[in-house]
Amino acid sequence: MFLNKSNKTSKNFLLIIIFCFSLLSYSQNFVEGITIDDKGNLLSGVLIENQLGSEKGISDKSGKFTFYLETSELISFTLDGYSKIVLQVFPESKLEVVLTETKSQEESFQDSLLSVINLSDDQFSDENDVLDNISGLLQSTEDVFLRTAAYEFSSSFFRVRGLDSENATVMINGLPMNKMYNGRPQWSNWGGLNDVLRNRELTQGMVPSDYTIGGILGSTNISTRASEYSKGGRLTISSSNRSYNYRALASYGTGLLPNGWSAAIAMGNRWGASGFQDGTFYDAQSFFVSLEKQWSNHALNATIIATPNRRGKSSPNTQEVYDLKGIKYNEYWGSQNGKVRNSRVKRLVEPIVMFNHKWNISPSMMLKTNIGVQFGELGNSRLDYPGGANPSGAYYQKLPSYFLTQDSGPDYEGAYRSEQEFIKNGQLSWNRIYDANINNNINGLSSAYVLYEDRSDDTQISANTMLRTQINDNISVFTSLQRRVLNSRNFAQIIDMLGSSGYVNVDSYDGFQYDLNNPNKISRIGDKIRYNYEFDATTSEASVLSRFNYPKFSGYLGAGFSSTFYQRNGLYLHEAYPGSFGKSKKLSFSGVNLKAGLTYKITGRHVLQGNVSNLNRAPSLRNSFSNSRETNFVVGEQAGLKLKNERIVSGDLNYFYRSPMLNARFSVFQTSIEDANEISFFFAEGIGGDNSSFVQEIMQGISKKYQGLEVGIEGQILPSLKLKGAASVGEYIYGNNPNVYLTSDDFGYLDFGEAKMKNLKIATGAQHAYSFGFEFRENYWWFGMTSNYFENTYLDVSPINRTQNFLIDRDGLPFNDYDVDLARSLLEQEKFDPYFVVNMILGKSWRVGSNYVGVFLSVNNLLGEEYKTGGFEQSRNANYRELRDEVQAERRRFGPKYWYGRGTTYFLNTYFRF
Amino acid sequence: MKKTTILTLALVISFLGCQQKDLFEIPSEIGNEENVQLNQLLSDIENGNKSLISIKQAKDYFVSGSVNTFSSDLVIKGYVVSSDASGNFYKELFLQDSSTNPTSSIHLMIDQVDSYNMFNFGREVYIDLKGLFIGESRSGNGVISVGGQIAEDGDEVDAIRELDVQEHFFRSPNTEEIIPLPVNFSAINSSHIGIYVSVNDVSIIDSEKGKPFVDPYDLYDTQRTMEACEGFGKVSFILETSSFASYSDSPLPSGTGTVAGIVNKTYNGSNLVLSLNSASDAELNGDDCDLLNIDDFEVVLSEGFDNSQDNTNLDYSGWVNFAEQGTELWTEQVFRGNGYTEFSAYRTFEDVNIGWLVTPGFDLTGSTNSFINFKLAQHHLEDDQNNTLEVFISNDFDGSNVLAATWNKLSVQIPNMSNSWYAFQDSGLIDVSSYEGTIHIGFKYVGSGTNTSLDGGYFVDDILFLKK
Repeated sequence: MFLNKSNKTSKNFLLIIIFCFSLLSYSQNFVEGITIDDKGNLLSGVLIENQLGSEKGISDKSGKFTFYLETSELISFTLDGYSKIVLQVFPESKLEVVLTETKSQEESFQDSLLSVINLSDDQFSDENDVLDNISGLLQSTEDVFLRTAAYEFSSSFFRVRGLDSENATVMINGLPMNKMYNGRPQWSNWGGLNDVLRNRELTQGMVPSDYTIGGILGSTNISTRASEYSKGGRLTISSSNRSYNYRALASYGTGLLPNGWSAAIAMGNRWGASGFQDGTFYDAQSFFVSLEKQWSNHALNATIIATPNRRGKSSPNTQEVYDLKGIKYNEYWGSQNGKVRNSRVKRLVEPIVMFNHKWNISPSMMLKTNIGVQFGELGNSRLDYPGGANPSGAYYQKLPSYFLTQDSGPDYEGAYRSEQEFIKNGQLSWNRIYDANINNNINGLSSAYVLYEDRSDDTQISANTMLRTQINDNISVFTSLQRRVLNSRNFAQIIDMLGSSGYVNVDSYDGFQYDLNNPNKISRIGDKIRYNYEFDATTSEASVLSRFNYPKFSGYLGAGFSSTFYQRNGLYLHEAYPGSFGKSKKLSFSGVNLKAGLTYKITGRHVLQGNVSNLNRAPSLRNSFSNSRETNFVVGEQAGLKLKNERIVSGDLNYFYRSPMLNARFSVFQTSIEDANEISFFFAEGIGGDNSSFVQEIMQGISKKYQGLEVGIEGQILPSLKLKGAASVGEYIYGNNPNVYLTSDDFGYLDFGEAKMKNLKIATGAQHAYSFGFEFRENYWWFGMTSNYFENTYLDVSPINRTQNFLIDRDGLPFNDYDVDLARSLLEQEKFDPYFVVNMILGKSWRVGSNYVGVFLSVNNLLGEEYKTGGFEQSRNANYRELRDEVQAERRRFGPKYWYGRGTTYFLNTYFRF
Repeated sequence: MKKTTILTLALVISFLGCQQKDLFEIPSEIGNEENVQLNQLLSDIENGNKSLISIKQAKDYFVSGSVNTFSSDLVIKGYVVSSDASGNFYKELFLQDSSTNPTSSIHLMIDQVDSYNMFNFGREVYIDLKGLFIGESRSGNGVISVGGQIAEDGDEVDAIRELDVQEHFFRSPNTEEIIPLPVNFSAINSSHIGIYVSVNDVSIIDSEKGKPFVDPYDLYDTQRTMEACEGFGKVSFILETSSFASYSDSPLPSGTGTVAGIVNKTYNGSNLVLSLNSASDAELNGDDCDLLNIDDFEVVLSEGFDNSQDNTNLDYSGWVNFAEQGTELWTEQVFRGNGYTEFSAYRTFEDVNIGWLVTPGFDLTGSTNSFINFKLAQHHLEDDQNNTLEVFISNDFDGSNVLAATWNKLSVQIPNMSNSWYAFQDSGLIDVSSYEGTIHIGFKYVGSGTNTSLDGGYFVDDILFLKK
């Protein structure tokens, strides 16, 4: 059960080394052990306490302690001047607990690692959520495999067990922070506050947290209780070329004051003109205040977290573009008045305010109650060009491939000219955009271009309460109730007129009024355009979790019932959809979620553990409405299919080996997800013959299968040298041929029937990943290096190319030149080349009087390997003939778009603790 | 104390970061580069490195049936009169030689969409022709066009690539107000192609009123019929709209009014049509137009040449038959009982034949409204640029000395090669009310008796002078 150990204050295995000796049969319900520091000195006076405060103990002069324990519990070890440690401890264990001096090199090392990780906290996701990252979930883990996944694999968008972050739960003080829109945590909402968000409790895999049954990818609970911060302050200055260029963080905690009050504050700033990709500026501030009052057996805490941030996004590109411009190329920016201006900026301001109450009712009962409010704005800017050509430098008509694939034959001169132009310039021309608008002003015409933001302004109130009851010596029960209420206002809003005088709120492509209630409305800066609607969502959950612990066995059983309501309220009447205005029908979902886990302790060194889950999860808001910007249609409604819960069945089996020299885990896992939905938006050519339209593609009733094994091993072969290795070998595939239909305001609804997806790979990062490396640490120096190998990374396929549409001509008959073998090769799923990434860390810290100074350097992708981490097929060529002609051309016009990993990057961190 | 200092320092440092703000001013350098290029071009013209020629002169480089490159340093200047804002024009521009009273216009093919926001309506544009090509936009359609390449077939031009447009097209800062050239439907001829014209008293024919501009079943273009009151009758003309126009499914207007648009050709060049820049160019919502009543007019002259003797030199009383060059004169002809007059250089064996036929005088004194009308036809015409018939008007002709008079050219649709031989075309009523005194009309033929491609014949018949 050690892998599920929670750990509140300290960060990882470096802090705590636990040697679990062979199980002894005497003195059941007692734990004994010694407390030492990291140099092996015995520590006396360590306060040992369970969560309820009902049991206390203290280590004696020789560092020994014994402690009464009824069941597996979280036990804290506290000594002034040393980091507090919280461990999940089992009765009958024999422990050696290592406490580390506060402000020691260990913590510095750990802090630096955290900094590295948090660089990827802000993983952006585009409209279709192609990118996702779970590294933020894993950073506090002790498990060598998960730690490797976080530190070494995350830059490759590796996903643990192939699963997206919606399968994990991120909580702050017990309140879930996953967005109801897509189920995923919005990392940026607490980015840049590393110093004060380091108190984390983790559950791994399927293991439920105290508050919720949760998903199958574990949970992280970040605690911001002010009393948990040790007294002192910290200043960090960092430099990097990954996301931001500079970072400054300052934090201070009062510690628990004699009058029962405690407070902590932090402020941070991260900024930079450009990250690794060109034009990706970064501008983020962070504020944090936490205040706590303890009295008798109560503790009340208030926390405010505000992290307004903006960053320039970067584009996925076709191989042609990368070949000409390199992997830093980003089509979204251009120069304006000599300054780099990115047209796609993600802006997020969603402050969180929460109150948390903890009440120790009796030695065997504890009640925690939390309430939180989050409100604010999420904006993603982009250019609208109702009266202008696509202004991107990488627009397909500006690339050599366009000239090489002319209907009249290749235009080599045009290809050469465009290639030279693209290499030389190839960026957005803001001047042209302004020029177009100014020209239109001359003739009294409306905007050719405007810059607008896609906005999601959410207000969410969350509350939960959890009662922990110790039933008897072996069993504890956690009962919780939870409710979340969301109102989300979604609209597009003009943020820059770019020199034009007025925007007409009409779809320039097909002439439809975006809002028939206000036809031809002339809109200006600050006005809403294109779409305008609200989502209302409510979820309620009741769960009971029982943890039990016996000499040879321990485990848990959990059951939860959840119910979810969604409703869309259209504020615009879209001309193509008479039902777009007003409220949609109310969607309701309910489901029972069950989890169970069992640990069998063969000996203290050999432990077997298994988990099973059966979950019924309501589809996310995003996957519930087929085209929420324009209609009230529910996914499946037009196809006559019912929108169902996603059903998740998952199980794993783990074997742990622990010895002073070697820690290892071997796991096998299997997951199936049924009745999943995917919605994507694109501009399709070749739908139903020769039409080209902007469409919504709805794939419904998807079955996904995940299976594989994980290994993590680390060996302390010398006191200062540790070797470590990890591997994940998985196979993540589609399990059926789901139904696909398209909608569009041009043609309404088209049913494409089944997409032949079965056995195609799910594009979920590398399905095989391996890591091997070492860490060397001595005399306040650290040095580490890892080699990581990735393979079996697949391109995200276009479902529509796998439907009947692919081979059917306009007349409804198959193309007369259809060649089955050629079609098969055209549709073969692209498998990316395997690649090596070598990472390095180097650090040193000094003690200056009573303070500490540290420097840390991390270099990622030391060898500068260029590799694809992901990508997707463009659905623009949605039939056999078009795809054939496209693929057979000298260069592909609409080849897949890819993301490349970063080249060699560095992160340099310095800090000062006082 | 020390800690407080450090903490303060920490907070200050953490907010030293320069934050990038969203403040982007309108770019100051817009058009700078283009201005530099334009100024260079203008100084090249100034110092003679390049020559500025008229659009008419540029079109003279067109050789029927072929595509040729401009190899010398020629520059034209003109004003954009077409707009692709509504999608009725696509990857093309018409550039006419003047914002008011234009005389010539040229078609430009560019591989650029939404060009209206760069080459906006009325914009003064210089085009460096060197290296560009002149030919027809589609073989045989009669639209003289400048493009960037020779199309595969070799007899039409292909669009100028967008990158090349930047190197050949230079906008001046001026956008002029374009005054549409007022014309009658009957007066529109191929010389008007590409010119922005306006026609009064126009309505859509009854059977098409309220129908959409473009028939939903037409893949490319739909032709609708307009008609306008002209004198005693209605003259019709084609309105052509692309199915890609944003207003293609809007209903045609049901009233009467002024239409403004660009004279254009159908896809195959068989007919002249009017193309609109936007639906608002045809806001026809007034009352029906009034036709003139023939009973109110005095017929001053009505000459049908029906007293002719076949194949003799014309000798009608009051008419002047004059050979400016060569000896050939206008002749009297009779065919199937219809008399008319003809000039033909066929087998004159003279290098140049220029022959004038001048009508008797038409005294306009005291009249408020006066018209002339006639019919024209051609046969065996092989080069309507150099084997021509022109119609002139003079109010100082002394009755005998043709060359001493001041002749103003009338805007009249002259039969061209695309018209059937011998088919008379009505000129429509030509309003001459603005003239004073006694006017004469002169028909001037130019041809050659030694160049067999310049020896076609022109017919004139049924001349009518009306006044009230």
